[in-house]
Amino acid sequence: TSTEKTGLGSSIESEMEFVSPEGLRLDGRRPMEMRQIRGEVGAVSKADGSAVFEMGNTKVIAAVYGPREVQNRSQQMSDKALVRCEYSMANFSTGDRMRKPKGDRRSIEISLVIRQTMEACIMTHLMPRSQIDIFVQVLQADGGTRSACINAATLALADAGIPMRDIVTSCSAGFLNSTPLLDLNYIEDSAGGPDVTVGMLSKLEKVTLLQMDAKLPMETFETVMQLAMEGCKAVANYIREVKNLIIQYPLLCTTREYQATGISLWCIAVHQGNKHEPRALGSYEDWEF
Amino acid sequence: MRFFKKTTWAPSLRRLSGLRREEKQEDIMGLTDASGDLAGEMEVDAFRRLFPLRFYERHLLESIRPDARPLGKARDTTMALGAVASADGSALVKIGHTTMLAAIKMEVMTPASESPGEGCIAIDFHMPPICSPLIRPGRPAEAAPVLSKQLTDIILSSEMVDLKELCLIPGKAAWMAYLDIYCLDADGALFDAALLSAVAAFSHLCIPAVSVNDEGRVFAISEEQIEGKSLKEPLNKGKRKLTLSCTPLALTCILHKKYILADPTAEEESIMETLATVVLDMSGRLVSFYKPGGTFLAYTSAVQDCISLTRQRVKELQEILTEAIADLELD
Repeated sequence: TSTEKTGLGSSIESEMEFVSPEGLRLDGRRPMEMRQIRGEVGAVSKADGSAVFEMGNTKVIAAVYGPREVQNRSQQMSDKALVRCEYSMANFSTGDRMRKPKGDRRSIEISLVIRQTMEACIMTHLMPRSQIDIFVQVLQADGGTRSACINAATLALADAGIPMRDIVTSCSAGFLNSTPLLDLNYIEDSAGGPDVTVGMLSKLEKVTLLQMDAKLPMETFETVMQLAMEGCKAVANYIREVKNLIIQYPLLCTTREYQATGISLWCIAVHQGNKHEPRALGSYEDWEF
Repeated sequence: MRFFKKTTWAPSLRRLSGLRREEKQEDIMGLTDASGDLAGEMEVDAFRRLFPLRFYERHLLESIRPDARPLGKARDTTMALGAVASADGSALVKIGHTTMLAAIKMEVMTPASESPGEGCIAIDFHMPPICSPLIRPGRPAEAAPVLSKQLTDIILSSEMVDLKELCLIPGKAAWMAYLDIYCLDADGALFDAALLSAVAAFSHLCIPAVSVNDEGRVFAISEEQIEGKSLKEPLNKGKRKLTLSCTPLALTCILHKKYILADPTAEEESIMETLATVVLDMSGRLVSFYKPGGTFLAYTSAVQDCISLTRQRVKELQEILTEAIADLELD
């Protein structure tokens, strides 16, 4: 998020070159290239589900506790689960040491955003009168913390065996020096150009989170948003195919059955050691067990 | 949603449990008459949850613990220096499942008038909600400020770091080292892991190069600036490391009846509540002994046993620390 709102291709941006004439960014990437991603499941032994997710230098750890008993009885909901989320940054995560890592406005806003994004995909109606806590801790921040947190939370929820509709992945994109750039790092983010963050349900290709700062004309916005969605698909591909961290496979095997019932079930299995352990059942549509 | 796994007795006890099956069953049945048949078939996990003290005492009789450790042995310890790239010094330490991440960030400040030739260290210990299911987000953990104070007292009083090394310009500028320790997974023996990570972070710390600008303000200079442009003479050429003397290392023990258990897990700490922490330095001198009350009253012999267990542990930790530093220098 930028502190100075600029116009399109304005004078402030032209002072600094974010994309060189050869088409390389400050860290040597191409405009459409994402940073290196790394994800791992099961980092915190005490949590029901946990994951570490890295996007370049941004490193985030997420832990999920739940479903468990609601701690504050007045907030208990009789028909669905209560989802809570807390985002906090470590004191040493940014360049200068942070004075107030929790409870400041940015942290509260991001906690809300993550909660609502995950709530959209968790099947809360299957776990009434319970509480699911998602805690995210940023260990190193280099731009794109929001996206890294959502990706880590998805992995942690899958590890905890909480039924979800689909996996949510997130990525950000921007527009600097008249070029759409994928996966901004901190320097590019604070340059003053627009920053679009997209959170998407990967198989269903539905957008749950869309945030944008600064000004963009509509055609450019659509290009940048498509780029961010490609980034989301790349993260989902990494999680599913490259690392085999999560497998989604349909349980109703023949197409005829799918067409007849109109429901497709899938199972999430998490990579543990050398094999996959089934964790939860989910489905694309709402239905009752 | 999760499948409840059936666990078996620790491998070392499978033989024993076979021999003493009749005695055990009588024991269980005698105590839980109401359950009747159910008690006889009680699973290990259920027994562990319902009668934790009895479960542990059964193991202690054989001088072993449920995870097959002997009573005086600590869990596997691993260390990784330089875990956080954005900090000046950092370390990630794992003792069993307990995970601590320590990072040091240096800032320049004006020294206090009473000690113009010394820098300062500020130590803070955080327990974020990810580390334990018992921590609620609104309310900070009870253990966090207690451990924070303990760590500050021990690190400052042991004089591991000579504060005079942190001085830049006497009376005008000195380094303030902010040490932040985050607990990522709380599974017992938090103080041991936190102290070890603090010591490791200090061993890894590289003080950045700085220079004075025209107004007399001190600012950090990067590698390129040292080589290239013509600046005023840097105050300290290149990065340097601190010299650490008498580094303190700790071991927490649990005292229960006539047993002393070294390096407890969170489960053991919650059942048997009397803890004693011994801090020794590298040369074997006693830095601190901490026993904050507790139902068990210790004789001096128990205190001496704790100290000797700590002595062995300090030797192990010293090896791990030197190995980690050597690995770093190879890179």
